[in-house]
Amino acid sequence: MENKLESAYRLFSLMNEDNLGYIYRGNFTDEITENILKLTEANLQHEESRNKIKKRIYSIMVEGLQNITRHQHADDVDIEKIEETFGIFVIQKIDDYYFITTGNVVDNVNIPPLKELLEKINSLSKDELKAFYKKVLTEGEMSDKGGAGLGLIDMARKSGNKLFYKFRKIDDTHSYFYLHTVPVVESTNIDEKKIYDTINNIINVHSLLNENSFLLIFNGEFSQESSVNLLGAIKGHITTSVSLKNKLFYVIVEMLQNIVKHGSKTEENSANPGIFVIGEDNKYFYILTGNFINKDESDTLLNKLRQINEYSIDELEIQYSKILFDFNIDDEKKTGLGFIDIRLKSQNKLAFSIKEYNDKLDFLLLGSKINKTHGE
Amino acid sequence: MEKLEIQATDMTPYVKLDKENGEFVIAEKSLPENAIEFYRPVLEWLDEYSKNPNKDTIFQFKLEYYNTSTAKQFARIFLLLEKIHLEGKSNVEIHWYYSKDDMDMEHSGKRYEKLLKLPFKFFAY
Repeated sequence: MENKLESAYRLFSLMNEDNLGYIYRGNFTDEITENILKLTEANLQHEESRNKIKKRIYSIMVEGLQNITRHQHADDVDIEKIEETFGIFVIQKIDDYYFITTGNVVDNVNIPPLKELLEKINSLSKDELKAFYKKVLTEGEMSDKGGAGLGLIDMARKSGNKLFYKFRKIDDTHSYFYLHTVPVVESTNIDEKKIYDTINNIINVHSLLNENSFLLIFNGEFSQESSVNLLGAIKGHITTSVSLKNKLFYVIVEMLQNIVKHGSKTEENSANPGIFVIGEDNKYFYILTGNFINKDESDTLLNKLRQINEYSIDELEIQYSKILFDFNIDDEKKTGLGFIDIRLKSQNKLAFSIKEYNDKLDFLLLGSKINKTHGE
Repeated sequence: MEKLEIQATDMTPYVKLDKENGEFVIAEKSLPENAIEFYRPVLEWLDEYSKNPNKDTIFQFKLEYYNTSTAKQFARIFLLLEKIHLEGKSNVEIHWYYSKDDMDMEHSGKRYEKLLKLPFKFFAY
């Protein structure tokens, strides 16, 4: 668990550097695709970008997500590294640019024709691309899985830019294919080297996710509103029994609200910047959060967390009931009811760690794990 | 007494407090980060109601989810209801609904029952 906290912190550093927004790694179903679209749509609404750009991003996402759904498993699934079979979707914003990245496993034998297609698309002018699109549309599909060619051409047309890509070798027969789309905003040009740096950064982030079994990462500003959207998306992402889903949901709500309540703003940010991570392995679900807190609150918070971890379940029940009916501590920040609730619902100790950020702020990492076999 | 009805949102519950028809319901989700604000009108209404309540008050809690911030406001509601119940002004009964898959919700209701002098009835759906 401590390793996972460290990894969450590394993710935050890697992502914050690039202002990365939202990552999902896992199996892609129609429901999950829909949830990702909804969440991004809600986040895009806050952006000042013009509607035309937003629409473009949205339709590129639709194509990209469908591409993953279609190609998420290589034709023969005998990959030793099972974690690599998952698809990945990333949306990030750096300066004024949006980067939409999708990733999935491909068979090595399929790389040359795919490369050829991508290079062809990248060599065509706007009008040529339009003609090529029509040609593929009327003459039929280019791959036996269907539609891939068309989807790629469409993404290139909508982005108004080249399709950037990279293959990462997994083993002798498989590679991971990253497709990186950067829609043109206004007429300004973005340095290609910078674009390739962002792909490499995503590959680093991806390997961190694989190592830690992280499935979903939200990096950004936390508010009541972003929590609502995130909660909606999470509900769609988690595929497990109803009782476990409920339990996870309770813990997630308290952890998210903890960021909104306690999170401090940095000088550059108006809302609460932070990170939210969900992970899953055979035994547990992991929920991790990270956010800034004022340095002068750190000690009190650490003591409270230590104390809550020391309580037995019975003692926690007593504490919970006591706080529930004690209206003298109505300042909700101070009750600690949320932490107690997380401990009670997860039945596991909280993991926590504090990192120094600057002379005013610390970064608090909090982790909770939930047994998959609870109450079943 | 005028009824109070609030439609549900993604984060706040459906509320219906209707003295005339004897309907007292809080339903769906209650997840506001700051529940004090949301429950203020509810508590004000109940405070007014407690001056001259119906002979019977069946209060239904049909929550899908609620957070700890809400839990404290529920405690306030229960204390108000407990008062009129113990004073003999109204026979109060709490009807606590929970999904049969949600043992945490059942447990939360039982916890309140243990801490209060109010009759609770539990309904799994």
